[in-house]
Amino acid sequence: MGGLGGALVVLLAAAVAALVARWLSTVLEPTTLTVPERVPFAGGVPPEVHAWNRYHIRYYVMALLFLAFDMEMVFMYPWAVVFVKEGIVALVEMLMFILILVVGMVYTWRERGFTWA
Amino acid sequence: MGLRALLGRLAAGAEVPVFPVVGGGARSQIQDLRLRSELMLVDSPRHAAVMIVAGSFPPGEVEGLLQVHDQLARPRRTIRWGAEPVPGLDDALVVSGDENRVVAAAVDAFVDLMTGSGPGEPPLLPDVDPVEWRGVGPYGQGGMGMTGGTPYGRPMAERGPARDGLELDQVPITIGPWLPSLPPGLRLHVVLQGDVIQALEVGPAPLRLLDRVDPFRQALVEPVPIAELELARARHHLRWIAEVLRIVDLAGLSRRALVLSHRARPEAGAEVRRLEAAIARSGLFVMALRGVGRISDLPVGWVARAAGSAVDARSEDPGYRSLGFRPVTTEGADAAARVRQRLAETVQSLELAASAGEARAGGHGVMEDPRGRLEVGSPPPAATLLEALPDVLVGQEWGDAVSIVHSLDIDVEAALREVPA
Amino acid sequence: MNPVQAVLFIGVVLGLGAYLVAVLDRVFAGAPGGLRSGLMWPIRRTAFLLVQRRSETERPDAEAWALAPALLAALAAVGLTAVPFTPSLAVADVSAGIVLFGAAMIIVMVAVFLQGWSPNSIFPLIAAYRFAAMALSFGIPFSLVVLTTAIPAESLSVGAVVASQEGLWNVVRQPLGLPVYLVTGAAVAFWGPFRIPEGTDLAGGTALEASGPTLAVWRIARAGVLVTLSVMGAAIFLGGHLGPVLPGWAWTSVKSVALLTLFVWSGHAFARMRVERFVWFGWVILLPIALVDVFASGIVAL
Repeated sequence: MGGLGGALVVLLAAAVAALVARWLSTVLEPTTLTVPERVPFAGGVPPEVHAWNRYHIRYYVMALLFLAFDMEMVFMYPWAVVFVKEGIVALVEMLMFILILVVGMVYTWRERGFTWA
Repeated sequence: MGLRALLGRLAAGAEVPVFPVVGGGARSQIQDLRLRSELMLVDSPRHAAVMIVAGSFPPGEVEGLLQVHDQLARPRRTIRWGAEPVPGLDDALVVSGDENRVVAAAVDAFVDLMTGSGPGEPPLLPDVDPVEWRGVGPYGQGGMGMTGGTPYGRPMAERGPARDGLELDQVPITIGPWLPSLPPGLRLHVVLQGDVIQALEVGPAPLRLLDRVDPFRQALVEPVPIAELELARARHHLRWIAEVLRIVDLAGLSRRALVLSHRARPEAGAEVRRLEAAIARSGLFVMALRGVGRISDLPVGWVARAAGSAVDARSEDPGYRSLGFRPVTTEGADAAARVRQRLAETVQSLELAASAGEARAGGHGVMEDPRGRLEVGSPPPAATLLEALPDVLVGQEWGDAVSIVHSLDIDVEAALREVPA
Repeated sequence: MNPVQAVLFIGVVLGLGAYLVAVLDRVFAGAPGGLRSGLMWPIRRTAFLLVQRRSETERPDAEAWALAPALLAALAAVGLTAVPFTPSLAVADVSAGIVLFGAAMIIVMVAVFLQGWSPNSIFPLIAAYRFAAMALSFGIPFSLVVLTTAIPAESLSVGAVVASQEGLWNVVRQPLGLPVYLVTGAAVAFWGPFRIPEGTDLAGGTALEASGPTLAVWRIARAGVLVTLSVMGAAIFLGGHLGPVLPGWAWTSVKSVALLTLFVWSGHAFARMRVERFVWFGWVILLPIALVDVFASGIVAL
């Protein structure tokens, strides 16, 4: 045993434990809630419409920037392992890559991509 | 002993999770309950076991109150703090008297609920769907319209233009009047697009006014000792600061400000300065309030003074002039500046109270109350602030909007209280 | 370690850690009462939440609502498996342990989003999208500082990272790493100044509609995330089980509890940040610091 198998077992066990705790509480004392008890809370007045909506995510530009950096992270994991072996070449190469992304970050900042509205 | 009984016995010793409903005249009473270690005031009825309904309400059914009652998780119990009954809450435990009585009642009710010896309250509203389900399919899909008729009984949000040229959904919703994040009784009819307010209207407040003795109103008609006025002002400011700190999740500092408001004596200036230093260390100004709600054109008391203009009705009063009163001002005009301004004014008030001796002020139909210029024949400053709310909140992110509401010291009850001619 | 032992071991560590979070939280809140009431408090509070009934909203996304706390608990647990508590005691000291941990902590975003999305209620929904904004802002700096600890070790295994700190801990070798880790870590657990999706302005946000056992599991799972972050922080920055005199497990515990205390303390020391300010903070402040950390540590390692 050990390795990823152990991690997977722990992952499932924790999730199952949480689900069982929730299920047990329903089994031990079943309750049926009335319609007013189910109304979502916003201060006392029931909502006119459902809360789910085509939500205006005001940080969408930042989310796109995240995608660029997230791809860079994918390359960085193997890079970190071979870094000492490859030496200064690896450093310079990654620095160039990152600098291009940082220019993107600064541009987004200048274009107010990190602010709402 | 069964598992339920064991859990109940353990739970009975926990802090009582209380959802407060604050009617007219009860705001500071409920705020003081936050100092009680037996209770834990919670923000959502889902987290509470006991609902405390304090203060006075207009006759007739109080809107939203029964709805909030039903939203409390079971088992639950209601305590009516005050003598007059609230229509609809007939089963509530009535407690009149001081804070200790209501805390004891809440603890008893909670122990009964946990140990199972007292029955929890059934829902009060009828179990009928208020909106008829008009869908066709098993999930309400089908039928007319883009979202397939009226799924699940309620319509879906519809689209409206956003400021960046997109068309996205706008959610019309009424927030309040019993949301603990907002001042009690404040009801906001809001149109939200994402988390930004597109439109806002302030609805009527379900509060009833009580006759109150207030030194500032008294000073309109007769001279009042300056020490009394200034201590009342300092206490008001500290209570307000406690509320602002609570909203940004600084519960410990909030309690400290509240305790200080009870001990506001002329010599407490140094303690207020230490509180200010602690607030600055917490990052409140830098992380939570800087740049939020910049208002430089609202000529109301400390809001104007936090924008650098030295308007203060006290400057016109001979009593204050004889003490050498000069208004303090702050630059910035944002929510952070308003908090700094009021902290400075609290210190100033305590100093004035210390040096005033027997001096009196007022009697000329004008007085600076904690919010601003109170004048016979004009609306109270609280009403001016409430009126300004839609303009300053539109276009704000919801969290910022809540900070702005609190930074403006909105009090629906004080806004309703007219100045007698 | 066989699977049963592994599950029990992780369960006990998370359980004790979550209990400690609750006790410390009360201490830093300055709650009155003696030692006994302080130690009993988490038990009493949990008992109350187990007695309280679970609330539901009209037409929720029921499956997602059930899964969200379970997912959060599972992520806290799986993140912990990658850490060696002693040189030989680790559930899954896999060759890509750093990746496993990093992935678990980033997927916390999904758990929090589901928790906010599923009740079909406006404030939890806003909270869900707020946390998404946060996660996109802290994700890169968080991953970068964790990754940087692998450079001197030349391996992504947490065991190797700990072993590489024999002689000099990463907290000294990479001085920018631990501060950024602590700040972004608190944000992962939406704790302290980063309680942005559970703030008072949203009346509880993602937890608003949860009551009873649902709330208990949610709170415990969140404390579990803090525990995982502390144990991992101790391993990759403070040399984990390395240390004189005391046995390895004792060093792991002492260092983890120290970081845990720091996390819990931050919850009472700072005001809640505005979400917009956090996005700016993540990109304009934390990200450049994390990048400097990567390259400075790289040059030092050469």
